[in-house]
Amino acid sequence: MQRRAFLQTTAFAAIASAIGARGASAADPLGIALVLPSPNGDVGWSHTLVAGLDPVIAAYGDAVKITLLENIAEGPDADRIMTKAVADGNKVLIAGSFGYQNGAMQIAKRDPSVTVLHASGYMVAPNFSPFAAKYFQGTYLMGMAAASLSKSGKLGSVSAFAIPELITSVNAFTLGAQAVNPDIEVSVVWVNTWFDPAKEQEAAKALISQGCDVIFSNAQDTPSVIAVCEEAGVHAFNLNSSMKSYAPKTYLGCVATDWGPFFKASVDAHMAGNFVGANAFLGVADKVVEVVDWSSDIPADIMTRITETEAKIADGSFNPFTGPITKADDSEAVAAGVGMTDAEIVAMDWHVKGVATPLPQ
Amino acid sequence: MSGLSFILAGMLAAATPFLLAALGELVVERAGVLNLGIEGIMALGAVLAFIVVYHGGGHVAAFGLAALSGVVLALVFGWLALGLRANQVAVGLAVGILGQGLSSLIGNSYESLTITGIPKLALPGLSALPVVGGLFVQDAVVWLTLAATAAIWAMFRFSRLGLILRAVGENPHAARAIGYPVIRLRLWAVMFGGAMSGLAGAYAATVYTPLWADGMIAGRGWIALALVVFGTWLTGRIFFGALLFGAVSLASLVAQTENWAVPSQLLSALPYIVTIVVLGIITSNKRLLKVNGVASLGEPFGP
Repeated sequence: MQRRAFLQTTAFAAIASAIGARGASAADPLGIALVLPSPNGDVGWSHTLVAGLDPVIAAYGDAVKITLLENIAEGPDADRIMTKAVADGNKVLIAGSFGYQNGAMQIAKRDPSVTVLHASGYMVAPNFSPFAAKYFQGTYLMGMAAASLSKSGKLGSVSAFAIPELITSVNAFTLGAQAVNPDIEVSVVWVNTWFDPAKEQEAAKALISQGCDVIFSNAQDTPSVIAVCEEAGVHAFNLNSSMKSYAPKTYLGCVATDWGPFFKASVDAHMAGNFVGANAFLGVADKVVEVVDWSSDIPADIMTRITETEAKIADGSFNPFTGPITKADDSEAVAAGVGMTDAEIVAMDWHVKGVATPLPQ
Repeated sequence: MSGLSFILAGMLAAATPFLLAALGELVVERAGVLNLGIEGIMALGAVLAFIVVYHGGGHVAAFGLAALSGVVLALVFGWLALGLRANQVAVGLAVGILGQGLSSLIGNSYESLTITGIPKLALPGLSALPVVGGLFVQDAVVWLTLAATAAIWAMFRFSRLGLILRAVGENPHAARAIGYPVIRLRLWAVMFGGAMSGLAGAYAATVYTPLWADGMIAGRGWIALALVVFGTWLTGRIFFGALLFGAVSLASLVAQTENWAVPSQLLSALPYIVTIVVLGIITSNKRLLKVNGVASLGEPFGP
């Protein structure tokens, strides 16, 4: 058994060194492969990842070679394509979707010379960093703006799946809104799909018909929700990249993500040979999360408060998830004065009081 | 607006893409041919229609081009499945995949762009009614689809053409023996089905959700296909099934906005469950199912 394991290891090492020898002569540019779950459009998640490589290209020019692999379904296809990308000599692999996790981790373990960055996962290895954005810091600010503009006192959110990342966004949105109007109510429609523009539009229309007059498009990659809100004349905002051009009149703003600083730092570390895998949960302070394209409809006094709060979040003196926070079932979630840790935030599976829609279990 | 009036106002439009595609497939299957490529034909129609509207060609031209693209894909299907007598299931799936691939390719540079839809037309008088008023404010395509539903129902019920198509589907050999050109009739039916699927795609991408995103048909073609089977090849039941599916889809969203304590996963599955159960109950009579079923469905025919 031991001998067999030894033979396997040597075989792997031989293959790995053969691939390495082919891929890495000094003059060759550094290959960076970016695997995307959807086509690279003008807006949306995939677009922000592609845009995140701009600072890398700006800094290194011809010393890096970017390969975009668009619209790759999670599962065996993705594993095969990522393996091929690495076999082709790419040394930095950016796996742009949660479902790529296992395949990407196998690649990282097989070849320690490859650096893997993986979106929204939880696994960590010496050459493997998961990365995620603290969207909740931005949605808290959006909640403040939304509450100041709502006449009905009802806000709505079209949300993809009830997973912690999206739940925290809704909760922080609600807490931010309550900071301006304590009686505000938030309704959520979980559409249970990452991608169905027609269903997302129906959900937004349903919320609007129930009197919600600010809509939060939570994790929709297309302007489906934003476009409907413009038509209906209600304010709306979204995550990742600005969709202002789709709603010039009623666009509230965008909780934008800029992966540039993180990608650049990771590539720098890879080039210097001192990359260390770690869980990268990045927010306003890291310049990864930033609210852009604020609507001019927001009252000036509220805008001042928002700017102040944003500065406090950036310097670390304010955490949106600071107690007292009550859960939707009236039990205490966080005691007064206590701030939730990152680990608690990424595991959040309850709604705060004020979210009217029951959370699916 | 109450939840009920929201559902009533939206269900016809929600049902229209299903209904258009399912009516086309009904004619195809009644003639004895099984075309599983609807999803891809819809996707191609959707992207072409979107591009026409995006470049200012207008909705009429958009729907025309979408129908034409549906006919072209249907002819590819017809050539392989009817002309060369290849397996209809395999050819249908292949044409569907071809359509989806083409739509991704053609739509690549239009990803996530938006256009404006078409205005809604109100039936005077009826649209002013409380609660149900919204039912009578619909866009032109919805009204035309309702007219098409009635026309296809009448065709199968009263016309000679309807009887001939059914004969071709029931027993192509007998139909041929009394002098009907079976292959040619089936080809016409397949072309009609393709055109209707193309229109369904055009409606989805230029009216119902006026934007293009790769994969936006999101399984609607398969639901249309299922509606034909669960509606036991009867126009009225297919119409009812599509309407039910549309209404329950909206109801499942409204339930969440009204904060019902029902898990959203269950609500998301509800349109499928309700449609299957209701149509299943309607069609539980095995004898009727056999009477309505198409005897030679999917069988290659060669004289």
